[in-house]
Parts: sequence; C-alpha cells; structure tokens
Amino acid sequence: MTIELKIPEYSANWAEGEQQGKWGMAIDMDICTGCQACVAACAMENNIPFVGEADSGYGRSMHWIRTERFWEGEFPEIKMTPYQPVLCQQCGHAPCEPVCPAFATVHSQAEALNLQVYNRCVGTRYCANNCPYQVRSFNWRDYERPEPLPNQLNPDVTVRRRGVMEKCTFCIQRIHRAQDQAKAEGREVADGEFTTACAQACPADAIVFGRIDDPESAVSKLAGGARGFHMLEELGTLPAVTYLKGG
Amino acid sequence: MTDNFSRRDFLKLASVGAATTAILTGCGPASRYVTREPYTQMPEYTYNGQSTYYATTCRECAAGCGLVVRTMQGRALKVEGNKNHPANLGKTCVRGQATLHGLYNPDRVQDPAKQSKRGSRDFSNMDWDAAIAVVADALKNTDPAGVAFLMGMAPDHLFDLVSDLAKAVGAPTPIRFGALGMFEARATLGKAVENLFGQAAMPFFDLGKSDLVFSFGANFLETWLAPVAFTRGFANMRRGGGHGRGTLVHFEPRMSQTASKADMWIPITPGTEGLVALAIGRIAAEARGATSAAFENVDVEAIASASGVSAEKLDELGKLFASADAALAIPGGAALAHSNGLETAEAVLALNALVGGLGRAGGVLLAPLAPMQTEFSRPANIAEMADFVEKMKGGKIKTLFVHGVNPVFELPKSLGFEDALKSVGTVISFATFPDETAMQADYVFPDHHGLESWGYQRVAAGSSQSALSGAQPVVSPYYNTRATADVFLAAAASAGGALAQALPFKDEVEFIQSKLVALVGEGDGYFGAPEINTFTAYFQQYGGWWKTVEELSTPSGDVLGKAIKVGEAKFAGEGEFYLHPFVSPVLGEAGANKPWLQEVPDPTTTVMWGSWVEIHPETAHELGVDNDDVVLITSEAGAVEAVVYKYPAIRPDTIAMPFGQGHSAYGRYAEGRGSNPADLFGEQVNDAGDLAFAGMRVKVEKTGKTYPLARLESRMGVYGEALGEEH
Repeated sequence: MTIELKIPEYSANWAEGEQQGKWGMAIDMDICTGCQACVAACAMENNIPFVGEADSGYGRSMHWIRTERFWEGEFPEIKMTPYQPVLCQQCGHAPCEPVCPAFATVHSQAEALNLQVYNRCVGTRYCANNCPYQVRSFNWRDYERPEPLPNQLNPDVTVRRRGVMEKCTFCIQRIHRAQDQAKAEGREVADGEFTTACAQACPADAIVFGRIDDPESAVSKLAGGARGFHMLEELGTLPAVTYLKGG
Repeated sequence: MTDNFSRRDFLKLASVGAATTAILTGCGPASRYVTREPYTQMPEYTYNGQSTYYATTCRECAAGCGLVVRTMQGRALKVEGNKNHPANLGKTCVRGQATLHGLYNPDRVQDPAKQSKRGSRDFSNMDWDAAIAVVADALKNTDPAGVAFLMGMAPDHLFDLVSDLAKAVGAPTPIRFGALGMFEARATLGKAVENLFGQAAMPFFDLGKSDLVFSFGANFLETWLAPVAFTRGFANMRRGGGHGRGTLVHFEPRMSQTASKADMWIPITPGTEGLVALAIGRIAAEARGATSAAFENVDVEAIASASGVSAEKLDELGKLFASADAALAIPGGAALAHSNGLETAEAVLALNALVGGLGRAGGVLLAPLAPMQTEFSRPANIAEMADFVEKMKGGKIKTLFVHGVNPVFELPKSLGFEDALKSVGTVISFATFPDETAMQADYVFPDHHGLESWGYQRVAAGSSQSALSGAQPVVSPYYNTRATADVFLAAAASAGGALAQALPFKDEVEFIQSKLVALVGEGDGYFGAPEINTFTAYFQQYGGWWKTVEELSTPSGDVLGKAIKVGEAKFAGEGEFYLHPFVSPVLGEAGANKPWLQEVPDPTTTVMWGSWVEIHPETAHELGVDNDDVVLITSEAGAVEAVVYKYPAIRPDTIAMPFGQGHSAYGRYAEGRGSNPADLFGEQVNDAGDLAFAGMRVKVEKTGKTYPLARLESRMGVYGEALGEEH
C-alpha cells in the first residue's frame, strides 16, 4: 500500500501589508462546565511546566488558561458565577506590548496576535504587570521534568527556561501548520480545519476558535450574537476573545 | 534519551538498535509493536516533522472513550478524542488529556520484581521467564477454589481472558471493582432498573433532548458513568434543540461542580432525596390531573420539614416538572449512597414514568449492550467485596491476582482488606504504578501502560449506539513491562493440560481476534470486513467497532401501579455533621500520580496539589477554625486529618471531602499528599449492596496545626491571610 502524503514546504515569507488572517475565539459561559479539560489540554500541547505545590501556593503556577468563578450571595441563596475560562485575550490594542523594553512582547501583523518572543525576553515582567487579565506567567525557575517525562514534549513548541515570560499563543504552531498545509494545496485555510488545543478538548464545545474576519465562520456567528461581550471591555483593549453570557 | 548524549553514544546506540530491530521483527508478541527506531532508520511511514496518529481507548476510567494519539518518532505527544467514536465524539476530559503523564511517569514499575517482605519496598528484579514460571506455578499448584482474580473496571478484554482462565482452572469467577463504581452507586442504579422495569440494564439518560433535568445527586458533569458524553448532552440541552434553553435543577447537600451549573441548586438534607422525589411526584401528578398509586400516600408537609425544602418550593418544583415538554429525573452518586438509596433510585426513576419520560426522546431509555455482550454486568458492590474480604480473612484464598484496581487505597479501610492480605498465601500484582496494593504484594509483574496496550472496552454508558472501543499500542513499551494477558497465556501454555487447551493463543492479539471474529459479517457496523485480519486492521484504524444505528430500548413495567415507599435514611456514627464524600472531579480515582493533574485546580475550590474538607464559613467560625487549619474528622470507623477550606455553598450541618488523594504509595507526586475519606467509611450498605458512604455522621475537632493549601483563587491567599488581610 502506498500512502500519499501532501507534505507542505515550510516557509515564512510574509509580505508587508499581507493579512493572513485574524483569529478569534468565542467562549460560551452558559455551556462551560468548568471541567478543566482545556487547562490540561493546553499544558500538554504547549509544554507548560508544572511548578509543584509550594510554587503553586505562591501563585506561580504557569497555566495559560484558567477557569474563574466567583460567589454571589450567601447560603442558601448563594450562586456561583458561570465558569469563565480566561486566557490571553490577544488584544488588538494590547497593554502588554508598549511596556516591553526588549520588544519581546510584540504584535504580529501576519497573524494579528500578541507574540511573546522568548529569546528576546529579559524577564522585566512589565508586561505581566500591565496585563489587566493576569494571563501572563513567568518562569521563576527551571522547573524539573524528571525523565522520562520529556518524551511527551511537543517538538513544535519551544521549551522555555528560567527568566522568561510566557502566555497563550492561540496555538500558533497549529495555525502555521494549517496555513502551510493550505498553501501546499493552493487554497485558503478552511473554517474548522484546525482548532486550538483547548477548543479541541472541550467536551461541551463551549470554546470555538476560527477566523473572526470571516463573517460566515462559526466563531464570527457566535461572537456577533446578543450574548457576546468582551472581558473588561471598558479598557478598550479590543480582545479577540468574545465571551457569551451564562445563565 | 539522556541530556548528555554525545555523537559517539549515538552511533553506538544506532548499531545496537539495528541488531535489536532484527530480533524484534521475528515472531512473538514483541513483533506486534511499532518499535522506537534510531533516527537513521526511520520506518518508511515516518517523515521528519510529520506525526503519526493512532486510535486507541482511554483507560483513565471505564467509560471507554476513543482517543487518537499524536505520535512522532515513537513518542506519544498529545491525546485527542476520536471524532467518530460514539462515546465521546472527538472530546476528552481532563484525565484523558493527562494520560501521557501516566505513560511517561517517572515512577512506573519498570521490571518484574519480587518483594522480600510485603510492605518492605525491597524489590529484587526478576526476568520474565521466572515471572511466568511463578504465575504458572500458582495456577497449576494452587487448589482452584483458592485462586482469586481481582480486576479493575477496565480493560474488558483482560477480564474476558481471565474469566476464561478461571473457568478452565475451576477457580471462582473473577471479581471486578473500582472506587468510581462505588461512588457512582452503579449496583443501586442497575438494581433499581431491574426492580422497576423487570430487566437489568444500564439506563440511558437522554440529556441532550431534554428541556428540564432534575438531578438527584448525580454528578454527571464530573466523574459519573460517562462524564464526556453527559457533558455533551448537557451542552445540547442548554443550546436547546427544539425546546429553548434547558433548565437544570440539582439536589445535593453541597454545591458540586455539576450543581454549580444548575439554574437551581437545592441544598437538601442528606438522605431525603427519595422523599423529595416522592413529593415532587405527588405535586406533579396533581398538576397533570393524573392519579397515580405510586405517589398517592405522600405527605408533602412532612417531607418539607424532613428535607429542609419548603412546601412552597416543593410545589414550585413539582409544577415545573409537570409542565415541561421533556422532563428528565436522574438518580445517582451520593443520593443513592444511603441506607434508603435503592428506594431513592426507584422513586426518582418513577418520576420519569409520571411525565411519560420512559422511552421518549429526552427521557430515560435503556442503553444497548455492547457488541459481543450477552447480559448487563456491573462491578462488585461493597457487600460482595466484604464477602470477598471475609474469604481472604478465613484463609480460603491462597493466591490472589490483582490487576487494574488498588483495593488497599480504594476500599473502605474498615473492610480490613490490607489486614486480610496477611491471610493470603501469595499476592501477585500486575500494577503499572507502584500503588498501595502492589506494596503489599509478593510479586509485581507490571503490565504496560494503557497507551502501550492492546485490548477492547465495552462502552457501557453514554452511547446510544452499541459500541466496542478498541485499544492498540500507540508507542512501544517504554520499560521492561509485559501485557498481563500475555503473561497469563504464557503461564497457561507452560502449565499445560486443560489450561493450555482452554487458552490456545499465541499472544494477546490472537486472543482478542478470537473474540472479535464474532463481529465479522455483522450488519449495521461502522465498517464491515469479510474476514478477521481485515476486520482487525479496521478495528485498529477506527479505534473500535460500533453500530451506526441507535439501539436504545424502551423501559416497560407497571412503575406507577403501586405505592413507592422511601424509608428514613439511617446514619452511622455519632457526631454533629453529615459527611458528604465525593470523587475529585480532576483526579478521579487514580489521577493523583500525574503531576499536571495535581496542578490543575479543582473547579469549585481551585485547590491544587492537595485535599481538603469543605466547611461552611459560619460552621467554621463556630468551631474556631479558619482556612488552612487542620481538623481531625472522626467517624464510627476511623479518623483522618484534613485541611479546612471554608466553602460558602455547603449546608452548615454537612462537611464534604474529595476522594483521590491521601496515598501512602503510588509515586512521588501522589505519596503523602492529603487524606483519604475512604479511611472514614464504615460498612453500612443500602438494599442493593452499595456502600452508604453518605449515610454517616462525623465529629470535627480542631488540632491546632495548619497547612497552607495551594489554590489558584486569591493569589494573595497563602501569605495574604497571614498578614491579616481579607481576600
């Protein structure tokens, strides 16, 4: 049996002014059950280190996505606010970017995302201080991954080391893979062709990822609905993540 | 691969690799595996930078979800759901995602070994021939009545093989157990279905097409039966197909993760769930103008005062239930873990009959049996496990084989399993991880990790299609482990006689094929094949075999014809608090050894790397304890220390504790972390033999010690409170 593989040629030849796509996410808080599958999926996809009990207790855990919940009222009339998965909002007008002295936190024109360039980062942590969503995590140490755990590391994603800031990338490695594949086949990336690790795992399909610049995409339709809102919208950060109000 | 790896080492390894490859491609079980090749000799399907994907079955619980694992150059990188698989349709839960941290866990059992003295942890490695000789000797030279097999709820193919083996030796039928089955109250659910509908079967709750769900303690969004399938159903209910947004009402003394998604959470007095179901039934029957004998003699006022749910609220709920288009009532979990649990399950299931929910879309149906399954089966309940432990204590069990379950940790401590092991001549564990039971064994003959294994698992719950989930190795075995099925087959062959005749298979795959052959030519399948080899190839490729048509059946029986009685729940022990144990939604029964699962915050408390006891803030104030204080919890059966988490959404007369931590073995990430509520459990069971783990009263005392819990909420939490600040 012969297997036909369409192997894409890897190239990063983006030209000034060329818009390759603008990615966005819609998260339905009415459906999110807080199950944390996205949290584990993200950690597995993106080589996020675990920091252990002591550092977790000091708030140094490295989750790129977390589910938030708050309490309203008192027993027995107490309500939990709907679970809200919080990740980098990929702001169009990002507070983290202008404060980086090393240009490690930059805006990508090609993908319209906030990038974190690890080998530029000098660890000033200004970006984390300036992020209103608290979604950036800092490598306070070189966290240990005892053998044979490193076998699981995703070769598409850099393993970060001490002194570097990191955050959600919208699974940029998956974006590039899909773009390369589409280019090799001479077509556009289709909606739903690939998705981020969190959206892929989500058992409730509460997280939907796709092209927000395509009005026909699933994410655009959800984000444009009456329940949509942006987190801390009043700050004018133009997030690419739209939340749908929960019940 | 070590970190320091010179080119010279690489060349050395490459030449050794070439020699080994030549051996491995010979006959024998090892040739069934894709081997990890040196980079100079990549298999032809490997293209640098491209991944290979294998379909298999998740083994983190017994639900049988299909996985597709991304591998590259012989390493497993990422777990995804199998999109075609009817149990999970491409999705996974948090435990499924973290299964790779089991595969590459630094604390796996690496070689077959003999322990010099049980509990000593002084293991000397053996070779597999010697290990097989030990198993063969045990099978051949033990009185068959004294051979016992204790198996986990997964995998099914090994259970089938061991069942055949036990039959051939004349040993008692293998026993299956799992803590999840105990917390789910599976036996109670099955018994209630049998009592009401005259047929033992797994009920199928059609959440997705329902517009109103009353859940009585069923934690279906967490670990109950098939959480991924139920989460999908819940999402579809909320999206509201033909009905508009569906409503969830949840009855539980504590706001669980499932309860937190409810539109209405009813913090009910523990043990009154069945009574409340009766009251709702009575009011709903009246509202619908129907008379039903089942709910006729129900005293709503008395139930209101017993349950703490006001008569007005009961009235509102009853009318709500009566007026919905497709109402559904689900019994499960702690609600059934009371002395009256079976009656509760029947009362709740009867509510469905009242609103025409039996066999209707969005109601209760009966799940189909899996392919090749002839009758409904369930794991052992606690009454049966107690009998088993008695047999052990009486010295009737000479040789005990344990696979896929960790009874020393999972069973109530009061049953005395660990103690009873002392009366067992030889204990052989097939544990992949160094769990508590393996530490009490004479031999540990490690099985492969689930992702290195062949097998199949019957999908018991959550699928409307009859489904058999298939497992295949996605990577070659990392350590010197061996499939337990292969060990038994080799042992049977070397024992000879009737044993060898009963199991004439070369290896595990041949055994699996001997079972799958029944499906060749079967109609309505996801795929068909004219002969077994092609069938097996497709079975591997697609990750199992399932029907393409739904095979749900309609429950029948005179459910409403006679009055349903729910007795008062009896509580064991003294003390001012009800104990409400629940399974950690993140760790499940066996997740504590996976470091990333430890670091995933609990959904409701956000605690990481630990366990806790939930106490209402006012109760904590009265007890004089605060967050992070350690308290001593005493039941009639035992005592544990636990760290206080002031939880605002729990009844002030109830405390709650997660199950999943408190290991005394099980690897570096699990050992010595938190406490195990199973140490508090007594032996009270309900009428279906399931443990009444929620039917307990406990005392809580301050110890004066503190232990800071790591939690994601309030990053100031740990030192902020020490500074006297409120967060």
